[in-house]
Amino acid sequence: MIELVNVKKVFNAGNPSEFSALNSVSLLIEENQVTVLKGPSGSGKTTLLSIVGCMSRPSAGRVKLQGREITSLPERFLTDIRRKTFGFIFQQPNLIKGISVLDNVMLPAYPLGEKRVHLKNKAMKGLAALNIANKAASKVEWLSGGEAQRASIVRALINDPYIIIADEPTAHLDTKLSYRFMEIIETFKAEGKTVIITSHDPLVYESSMVDRVVNLRDGQIEV
Amino acid sequence: MILHPTVIANLLAAYISSFMVLYALFYGVQILKYWDIENGHELQLVLERKTYLIATLLGYVFGLQLLSLFLYIFTADSLTPLFVGAMCAAGTLNVDAFGYPTLVLKIVNFIVAGLWLVLNYADNQGYDYPLIKKKYLLLAFIAPFIVLETLLESAYFLSMKADVITSCCGSLFSSERTTGLGSEMAALPALSMLRIFYGVMFCTLASGIFFCIKSVGGYFYAALSLLMFLVSLVSIVSFISLYIYELPTHHCPFCIIMEEYHYLGYLLYLLLFGAVVSGIGVGVLSPYRQVESLKLMLNGFIRKLALASLILYAAFTALVTYEIVTSSLVIAYEVVY
Repeated sequence: MIELVNVKKVFNAGNPSEFSALNSVSLLIEENQVTVLKGPSGSGKTTLLSIVGCMSRPSAGRVKLQGREITSLPERFLTDIRRKTFGFIFQQPNLIKGISVLDNVMLPAYPLGEKRVHLKNKAMKGLAALNIANKAASKVEWLSGGEAQRASIVRALINDPYIIIADEPTAHLDTKLSYRFMEIIETFKAEGKTVIITSHDPLVYESSMVDRVVNLRDGQIEV
Repeated sequence: MILHPTVIANLLAAYISSFMVLYALFYGVQILKYWDIENGHELQLVLERKTYLIATLLGYVFGLQLLSLFLYIFTADSLTPLFVGAMCAAGTLNVDAFGYPTLVLKIVNFIVAGLWLVLNYADNQGYDYPLIKKKYLLLAFIAPFIVLETLLESAYFLSMKADVITSCCGSLFSSERTTGLGSEMAALPALSMLRIFYGVMFCTLASGIFFCIKSVGGYFYAALSLLMFLVSLVSIVSFISLYIYELPTHHCPFCIIMEEYHYLGYLLYLLLFGAVVSGIGVGVLSPYRQVESLKLMLNGFIRKLALASLILYAAFTALVTYEIVTSSLVIAYEVVY
């Protein structure tokens, strides 16, 4: 369970360009559910997601993960939580060019020191589950958009996180691939993972597997 | 005089330290006043972020503070040829009224800065900043000493006059003189001091080993470490120096840092200061062994500190013993003047 209490995020505080991206957001995200954060551009979806995923800190307010307060944690503890708890799927696949798909997928697991043989097996299993095992040795620049997106999903799962965070995952996918993506999300849910997606794509927030849609506008939750 | 490169380095280090410590203290006071980990208000989150900056900055500043003691001694030693009568750092430090007070303050600041680094390291291991208020309270205690040291050090270097005829170490640390701390230490009976040194060292090492094995007696070991440090300083003047110089009347604690003696003094002092900081660190951290977020690591860290202190004291003793055994000087009886 993730609990946000009066979370505020202000960019460029004290400057003329000060911008308040989130205003006293309080929210409870249940476990083993698919939650969609919906809202127009600039509504604060991505900011909220980055705070939940410990990628940025709020300007005020607290975030609790499984009852443990995480916003005050020193950076090295946050790194550990990020690594083991969250799997991130971004709008762009953000794969590293020049190295193979397999290396890209294994990269987030390197700091944990798992044996390479085990890691490789796990990565190959993940790639096979999303039907891109045949691309494991290919360089990422040779992949199509859908393949790159699937590779980034396998990378997000390599440390077996129990919370998947996806930021506008279907923004660069066509309809067919978007449906395919939602099928993959359904398997995550079936495996007991918690999924948080930001999207303003009806295909995502109107999907039957979504348990809850949270509407955001101007940095606040719309009731 | 102040254009001498080592003097510039000393003053620069002192001003940087003072400025950074005062800057850190500004936020430290806010942390002491407003820190509330349970609260999610804006100021609390700002302080949580600031403490990274402050702690990192202080880590370097206090690291510099540790080095500055040795730099100060080195500077005093290297300025020796500029003063009539000075034979080593002892004479240079005596050219005005501020040399020795600065040295004493540097020694005190070395120990407290080292203890702050120990406390900071332990605090950084906890997920909820368990020692943050203690850390900044210690900073508030240290800051005036650091500033005072800077003022005294500036006064020392700025008051230096080349036409001053200073005393040499043979005079300042003479057992024949009746006044002055140096002379009083030099006048202590060498053989008795030798027995006291080895006796206290034996107790210190035994209590340290007992602590490492049983995890009991941390405060006692810390107290013995401090006592051992003081006994060692007195011993250097009283009898260790005699064996190193192989002269029954030369008690100077500074000549041993010179090239003629293979810079042995630096090694001796490094071992001694490292030992006392890690030894007292055991006592400083012991009260926090039951803090929830430190439970898993603090016992291990305290044991490592005790072990480090033990090894450094043992190395110091081994070095002293080697010097005594290989020295041509034999002290068979006490010379009473």
